[in-house]
Amino acid sequence: MNLPQDLKYTETHEWVRVEDNLLRVGITDFAQSQLADLTFVDLPSVDTDVDAGDEVAVIESVKAASDIYAPVSGTIVEVNEALLSAPEAINNDPFGEGWLFVIKPADTSDAENLLDPSAYQELIPAE
Amino acid sequence: MTPADFCRFPAPLPYGQAVDLQKRLVQLRIANRIPDTFLLLQHPPVITLGRRGRREHLLTTEDRLQQAGIELHHAARGGDVTYHAPGQWVLYPILKLSARQMGTHGYLHALESVAINTAKASGIEAFRREGMAGAWCEQGKFAAVGFAFTRWVSWHGLSINVNLDLNGFDLIVGCGLVNQPVTSLQNALPGNTELDLDAVGDEITRQVETVFNRNLQRRSPDQLFN
Repeated sequence: MNLPQDLKYTETHEWVRVEDNLLRVGITDFAQSQLADLTFVDLPSVDTDVDAGDEVAVIESVKAASDIYAPVSGTIVEVNEALLSAPEAINNDPFGEGWLFVIKPADTSDAENLLDPSAYQELIPAE
Repeated sequence: MTPADFCRFPAPLPYGQAVDLQKRLVQLRIANRIPDTFLLLQHPPVITLGRRGRREHLLTTEDRLQQAGIELHHAARGGDVTYHAPGQWVLYPILKLSARQMGTHGYLHALESVAINTAKASGIEAFRREGMAGAWCEQGKFAAVGFAFTRWVSWHGLSINVNLDLNGFDLIVGCGLVNQPVTSLQNALPGNTELDLDAVGDEITRQVETVFNRNLQRRSPDQLFN
C-alpha cells in the first residue's frame, strides 16, 4: 500500500499536501482500493466556505456512494474538474492526478493537527 | 463470530422513516455506541432515485404516482432508480467497513450472495451477471443493490423481490437498465407459486449470519438504541 511520507492524513482516509499556504486534498491508496472502480465524482464549487469535517464531495463506485470530508476549515479554491469525465484517475493515481480539491485554510496551523504517516498507518490493516 | 444486532420489522416502514432511522444508527455506529446492525424490513410502495438517478428513468409523472399512492424519494445511495413495495424484503446493513476490511467489491459481493443463496434455498437457480450488480435468475433480475458510506459506515443496501406486484417496476427503468426484465422469486417458481414471506425472511437472516459470518442478536425495533 503506497503511503507517501511527505503528506498529512485524516481518520476518514483523505491525504493533505501542504503547498505554501494552500492544502491539496485527495483520498488515500487504501481508500481508493476499498472503494474499487470509481465511476462518478461530485465536487464542491470553488469559493465555497467549509468547516472541518463537512461533507464536501461524493465519490461513487458501481453501486456505492461515499462522502469525502473537509480536513480543515477554509475556502475551496480549486477543484479537479478532470475527474468529472475521468474519475478512474483516483484509482490509478490517488496521490497525483487523482487529487480532489485545494482548500485555503482559515488557520494555516490547522494542518499541523492532522495525522502524520505513521499515525495513519496504524488505522489501516497491515498487508 | 463477531456479534451484530439484527432487527426485523413486523410492519412495512415508510421510506422516509427508514432513512431517518438509518441516519441515527449510522451516527451511533460511527461513535462505536452500537455494534454492526442489520435491518430487515418492507416499505409501502415507493420509488427512489439514487445519487445518479436520472429523471428520464421515471416513466410517469409525480401526479400519477401520487394518485397511485406511490411515494417518490431522492436517496443518498449509489445506483439509479428502483421500486419498493410490500412483498419485497429490504436489507439495510449498518456496518463499519474499516473494521470489516472487505472493501466495496467484497461488500457488494456479500450482498449479492445473500440474495443468490436465498433464492437457491427456494429451489431457484440464481446467479451474478458480469458488469451488472444485483442478483438474477432465468426470468430476470430479482434483487437490486445500492448503498452508501458515511465515514466508512454503510447504509442502504439490498432489496429482494419475493411476492410483490411487479407492475410498479413498469413505472421506471429499473437501475437504469434498459430492456432488462425485473422479476420476483414468485415469478421464477413453476406455477407462479406464492412464497411464505416470513419463511423467506428467516432464510435471509440465516444467509446474513453465514455470508457476513456474524452471530446475530435479535432485537425489536424499540431495542435498537439500547
